[in-house]
Amino acid sequence: MNRLRALHPSIDIGFKALTRNRLQTGLTMLGITVGVATVLAMMAVGAGAQRSIEQQVRAAGLNQLTIKAGNWKPKTEDSGGAVAHQGDAEDTMRLPVEELMPVLPDAGDPFAGAADILPIDFHPEDDPMEKHDHPLAWQRLGDLEAGLGAATTLSFADAEAIRQLPGVQYVAGGVHGNARVHYRPDGAPEKRWFTRMHGTDLHLLDIKRTWTLRSGRFFTEEEQDDKAMVLVLGSVVAEKVFGEKVDPVGKELMLWNQNFRVIGVVTSASWVVRPAAGDDEFDAVYMPYTTTHQLLNLTKLNDITVTASSTGEVSDVSKRITELLRQRHNITNEKPDDFTISTQATRAITTGGLPPNVAAAIAGNVKELERVTLEQLAGTLERASGTMRWLLAAVAAVSLLVGGIGIMNITLLSVTERTKEIGLRMAVGARGRDVTRQFLTEAVAISLAGGAVGVVLGLVASYLISSTLRWATVVSPGSVLIAFGVSAAVGVLFGWYPARRAAELDPIDALRHE
Amino acid sequence: MIGVRSLEKEYHVGDHVVRALRGVTLDIAGGEFVTVVGPSGSGKSTFMHILGCLDRPTRGQYLLGGRDVSTLPHDELARVRNETIGFVFQGFNLLSRTSALENVELPLLYTRKGAVKAAERRDRARRALAAVGLTDREEHHPNQLSGGQQQRVAIARALVNEPSLLLADEPTGNLDTATSHEVMEVFAKLRAERGITIVVITHERDIAAWGTRTIDFKDGVVVSDQQHQPSMGSHTPVSA
Ligand SMILES: Nc1ncnc2c1ncn2[C@@H]1O[C@H](COP(=O)(O)OP(=O)(O)O)[C@@H](O)[C@H]1O
Ligand SMILES: [Mg+2]
Repeated sequence: MNRLRALHPSIDIGFKALTRNRLQTGLTMLGITVGVATVLAMMAVGAGAQRSIEQQVRAAGLNQLTIKAGNWKPKTEDSGGAVAHQGDAEDTMRLPVEELMPVLPDAGDPFAGAADILPIDFHPEDDPMEKHDHPLAWQRLGDLEAGLGAATTLSFADAEAIRQLPGVQYVAGGVHGNARVHYRPDGAPEKRWFTRMHGTDLHLLDIKRTWTLRSGRFFTEEEQDDKAMVLVLGSVVAEKVFGEKVDPVGKELMLWNQNFRVIGVVTSASWVVRPAAGDDEFDAVYMPYTTTHQLLNLTKLNDITVTASSTGEVSDVSKRITELLRQRHNITNEKPDDFTISTQATRAITTGGLPPNVAAAIAGNVKELERVTLEQLAGTLERASGTMRWLLAAVAAVSLLVGGIGIMNITLLSVTERTKEIGLRMAVGARGRDVTRQFLTEAVAISLAGGAVGVVLGLVASYLISSTLRWATVVSPGSVLIAFGVSAAVGVLFGWYPARRAAELDPIDALRHE
Repeated sequence: MIGVRSLEKEYHVGDHVVRALRGVTLDIAGGEFVTVVGPSGSGKSTFMHILGCLDRPTRGQYLLGGRDVSTLPHDELARVRNETIGFVFQGFNLLSRTSALENVELPLLYTRKGAVKAAERRDRARRALAAVGLTDREEHHPNQLSGGQQQRVAIARALVNEPSLLLADEPTGNLDTATSHEVMEVFAKLRAERGITIVVITHERDIAAWGTRTIDFKDGVVVSDQQHQPSMGSHTPVSA
């Protein structure tokens, strides 16, 4: 506290000194200003490129298509090339589920369609905390049969047929619902968790490029064929039920009054997607769809997720699937589809999730994209922004150096001009460190003032870079702080030598100085 | 108050050794008003710099208030200067573009035993200015003050931290005769009212007469040291 107050007069002195040599001070500040502005712009471009790449990772599903049973679409969304007709009265008659279920905004997720079977008004029995002494709906009917299951039109055979189409990479059919998992450790109280249940195909792991297995494995072909009672947990479920430290692999879980063996835990490998309670991917459990079919006595799929071999083939693959399914479902020419295909690529572009440069690249070069893989796109972007960053770094380094030398110069000048004053201050009791502080404060004051202008200039520059060059730029409060820090550091670094020189003056010599 | 024993100071200029002080031994009691006289180059300033802890002797001892300060480190010397000693210089050494009041506050920025708050600094600077009769010049800048007034501001600055020893190196060197005597009268008054020990260097005999004791330097040694009655001179007193 005392130190702080003692600091104050020196700071006051330092700032007063700023007004002494206005022109020199101004010129010196200019160097710092340009330097700091460039540092900020550099960080903005860096962060912008980072974000673009992150968004590409997020859009790693650009080559992904989702075929949902039924035909509906939110009025606001463009179908983006996927064949879909707005149902007339007759269609909605044929698809009663779509009538009953609220149309939820599409979350851009392959399983988003599954949300359709989740009624907005929860049945009291859906309260995960509630205890019941009577058979519940899912026990009586099966969750899925009570909902979409009966009305769905997609079959496993459809999925197998799609798998044979050219340009198709992976196919995974899925059945979805909500379920409660129970864990009954010996002698400990039962743990329950209400979560999403996905009956799916073993190829799902290939499709979900941003997933990683935290432990264990995904189910195998044999387990899928054998309708094995195995469960892969999303990391959220694993943590909620078993805690963070316990590896659930090998443990037994109850679901639908059946014992399941946990064989793996999946989590997000992308820093973009953080698993959270309530999400559809990691607050979820996965089992072979065959197991779901067996246990719930189902035959159909809610959806089929497909990946195309390359992003550019998505529209062709979409067309082929449409033809194939219309043929398989015996839909005559005039009738609308009884399924809906949506692609991530169209969504990513139309919803503006991508920075303009990436979106423009994709939308403007769809043909080109046939050959351009996502990795190449990311690589190009990274290289280009890397060049830009190096350029800015060079400008920043040079101007900070120039600014720093300017600060050293003006501080040396100030020390020389005020040698007598330094002698006097020493005579009345200033120690070396008091003198050092005074001149360092002066140097830092100049560089901070220059830095403040530089921050403003850097914000403008970042804006111009993104608006004229169509570079994504991101200015965070952190980078503004860093920019200020850089300018302060330049002041300290280049003010140090003159300030030390002032402090080491001999008081008598200094007093005699004319 | 002050005791120096065989004080020597040498300067090395190239291969050449300049012996500025060659063995000075004397004592100054508290409350004495000492004037130091002697020809130019006789070592008066060198002596005063050592007394003021601005410099350290090459050999010999300097006891200030019973404490040997001849070997203290720099920071300790700075502290002694701040707390015990007040300086007045020939050239006033006021900070330009800074008001009289702010000039007087300066030593209070460097106090060690707890920093002085701004309000208290201001208050003490006001009182010091009042003591030298400059109450109505607080906001004046040095270039708006006469030489005598500037030197009185410098004296106020030397007084503000209540030192026990006031050192002045030719404080009247830049002043005309009448103003010189006004300044000396301020010293005499401070000694009378506060009992401050005062050492003033001068080469004018009638200025030296203001003291209670005159020490004569020649070639780095004391050639005469005499107690005497201070002559108040025949000048108009300072209007305070
Ligand atoms: N920093 C210095 N370097 C070399 N010689 C010095 C220095 N300071 C003083 N001297 C010499 O020491 C002697 C005494 O000087 P000084 O104490 O200033 O005398 P006075 O104040 O009596 O005129 C002079 O010969 C002077 O040249
Ligand atoms: Mg002298």
